[in-house]
Amino acid sequence: MLGQVRIKLPAGIARGSVARVRVVCIHPNERVERQSGKSVDKNYRFINRVVVSYLGRDIAELDTATSIGENPAFTIPFRATEPGPLKITFFDTHGSRFEGTAEVRPS
Amino acid sequence: MVDPRVTRRELLAAAAAAGMACAWPRNESEAQGFLANLAPEEPVEATMKRLFAGRPVREGSAVMTLEAPLIAEDGGNVPVAIEIKSPMTPQSHVKAIYILSDKNPRPLNAKVNLTPACGQAYVATNIRLADTGDVRAVAEMQDGALLMVKRSVRVVVAGCAA
Repeated sequence: MLGQVRIKLPAGIARGSVARVRVVCIHPNERVERQSGKSVDKNYRFINRVVVSYLGRDIAELDTATSIGENPAFTIPFRATEPGPLKITFFDTHGSRFEGTAEVRPS
Repeated sequence: MVDPRVTRRELLAAAAAAGMACAWPRNESEAQGFLANLAPEEPVEATMKRLFAGRPVREGSAVMTLEAPLIAEDGGNVPVAIEIKSPMTPQSHVKAIYILSDKNPRPLNAKVNLTPACGQAYVATNIRLADTGDVRAVAEMQDGALLMVKRSVRVVVAGCAA
C-alpha cells in the first residue's frame, strides 16, 4: 500500500544505549525516464525528504533523490534516553506526507 | 442553499476559480519532481565541487567504513551502510553523511543530516546504481572537515538511476 511506513526497533533496548531503527516506506520512488537518451520532464514522484524525530525533537533529516531504491529503507541510530515516541515522516515530490510512529521503551 | 442575492454569473465565476485552484499546484511542495528541481546531470567531480566548493576532502578510511557488495545483481537496489567513528558530542560530531555514486547521471544519492542525539554516525539504505563504478561516502564534521571513502561495486543489471 502506497505510503505505508514500517518501523522496526531492536528488542530490549537498554536505557541510554544507542539503538538502530530500521524504517521502510512503501513508495515507487520513481526514477527519471529517458527517451532516446534525453530525460523526460515531468513531475516525478519520489521521496525527497525524511525526518526522524524522537521525544518530539528532530534528530536526523535526510535529503534524498530518485537514486534511492524503490520502497526506500533507512537505518538510523538514536540514543534511547527516555521512553517515548519515535516518529519518522517521509515527504514526496507530490506533496504527500507519510508518517510512522514506534513507541520506544528502554529498560 | 445558495444565497439568493448571489447571481448565477457570480456563482459560475466562483466555481471556475475554485476549479482552477484545484488543478493548479497549491504550493511548491506539490511539484518538486520536475527536472528543474532535481540536481543537474553532471560528472561526480562537478557534484563534489558544487557541494563542497573546493574544500579539501581527506581520505577517511582510518575512521570510516563503507559497506557495499562487491557485485550487485540488481543495480536498482544496492544495500550500502556507512559508519564513522565519532563520539557524537555537541563539540565533536558528524554533521552530515553524503552518499554519491560516481557513474550515476545525478551522483548524489542522499544527504543525511545527523545530530548528537543520534549517538552514532551511521546510516544504511538501498541505492540505485546506473553502472559499475565507485560508490563514495563523504562525512562532514561539525568543524567543516571532510572525510571520504570509496568502494567499487560491479553492477550486473543497471538500476538506471537518475
